[in-house]
Amino acid sequence: MKKEDKEKKKVPIVEGLFTWPSNKPQLIGSKCPLCGSAQFPKSNVCNNPDCDHSKSPEESLLSDEGTLYSYTVHAYDLSDPFAYHKAPYAIGAIELPEGINVIARLTTVEKEKLKIGMRMRFKVDKLYEDEEKVYLTYFFQPEEEK
Amino acid sequence: MSESAIVSAAITEWTEAGKTIPSPIDRLANVTIETLRKAKIRPGDIDAIIANTTALPFNEGSYITISAQHFAHRLAEKIGSHGVRCMNVCAACASAAISFATADAMIKAGILKAVLVVGVDNSPRGFYFQGPSILDMDLAVSYPHKVVGITNPSYWAMWARRRAYDMGKPVKDIKELMALVKEIHSGYGALNPYARYKKTFTAKEVLDSPVVCDPLHLYMISAVSSGAGAAIVTDMETAKKITDKPVKIAASAVGSAVYGEPSPRLVYFATAGGKKAKQPFIEWRKPIEAAYKQAGITAEDIDILECHDTSCFHTINWIDQVKGWEREETDKLIKNRQIRHDGEFPVNLSGGTSSFGEAVMSQALVMVHQLLLQLRGEAGERQAKKRLRTGMCTAYGAYGSYGVIILEKGW
Repeated sequence: MKKEDKEKKKVPIVEGLFTWPSNKPQLIGSKCPLCGSAQFPKSNVCNNPDCDHSKSPEESLLSDEGTLYSYTVHAYDLSDPFAYHKAPYAIGAIELPEGINVIARLTTVEKEKLKIGMRMRFKVDKLYEDEEKVYLTYFFQPEEEK
Repeated sequence: MSESAIVSAAITEWTEAGKTIPSPIDRLANVTIETLRKAKIRPGDIDAIIANTTALPFNEGSYITISAQHFAHRLAEKIGSHGVRCMNVCAACASAAISFATADAMIKAGILKAVLVVGVDNSPRGFYFQGPSILDMDLAVSYPHKVVGITNPSYWAMWARRRAYDMGKPVKDIKELMALVKEIHSGYGALNPYARYKKTFTAKEVLDSPVVCDPLHLYMISAVSSGAGAAIVTDMETAKKITDKPVKIAASAVGSAVYGEPSPRLVYFATAGGKKAKQPFIEWRKPIEAAYKQAGITAEDIDILECHDTSCFHTINWIDQVKGWEREETDKLIKNRQIRHDGEFPVNLSGGTSSFGEAVMSQALVMVHQLLLQLRGEAGERQAKKRLRTGMCTAYGAYGSYGVIILEKGW
């Protein structure tokens, strides 16, 4: 029997990328206690070639604001097993204050609303649902769209 | 240190991807024999086989197979082996370029005298998806398609849009430039008997083709194909006994990810940290600069370029990086059609990946084969008009895989 939306359990599409359940979800990254290098997804090995690697990075939640480095609007649906990515959908690279650019889904496909360099805010929202569950992923949305 | 040279190369015609006949090993064996016959040498004269491992769909979107990763060994058994050294190289689209660099290094070190560099691929159709495999659930690379819906062309599209932004130009300009690149290169594909696509497209047809991921249209993106190639690399002394036109490997460089690269790298969720370079693509430039240093030359000395163009943006970016000049100069070069065979800097007179489609593991063999023809003056209607002495081949692949080869007339 089909469950009503409100009864369906909301689950991340993949565990370990953002905090959930949470009122203020954030990307789960890591930070090296020695050199400060940030990584996403989190890693227990530092990726800075000049770090002496004597300590392991620690889990660190990433900023929920960044700027748009670039973006594209995908005009084709993906095939199985990823057919739930229905076109059109937008993908962007977001520059975070931690010094890394993260690939993300964007909340809008309207190109006039997107501008390189604009402020973007993190959010978690529905990617798709099936009979049982609602699958969540992370997005960035233009600040003024809030 | 010995010098090394390419004495012989052969490629098959590139064909539609995803067909299992002929089998990749048969295709590879046939093209290898053709290369050996041209050089009049036997499998028994070869010291090593370096093959590019292929990626075939296995299950649930995972591209891991076991048999596919041992083409060097399978080829040795197939053509007759005397216990030849077999090595398999895997570096995504840059695989074959890195095989040449490996052969070159071992010959220059005096370890080997004659090496077969081979590649075969029968790529899966459509968008490439990395894993996840049940045996490799690396969050960093196995899930971007699943979580964000990103495809390889989406990365390229973001690069193209960012280049326009960095130059302070509208996206329309880079679209038109990419369409012109396709128009020019498809003309050479039409003249190349080995190319899969033999239709010349006008820039207008390219711009009228469906958008895949803005600003990339369908005809700006390379298809996936099936094809095989083989080349023989020897030390210069041996080369001169085999041919009166040995093509010297003046340099071969291998590159990988560079900490501080600001552009999103296939197939990752995020760039690495560090002090960001002012301009993107430092990891494309690094092996190019290493190759110039090895050869003792500068960008000015490169007469002709064969570059890996899985999208028309790649061609533009390769010219930016190889020339190391202001990007406006690249735009001017292309707009003035100076990348044609009769231009000042011919690029991809093979027709490029754009006209071949990409047989991932074999693509650098197309480029090297073309440079051999060009340097030897054997490219027929596609022959560069200018006098050629030095050519460059550049390959780009996912995971930050780069290979750069500089070839020179050895006679």
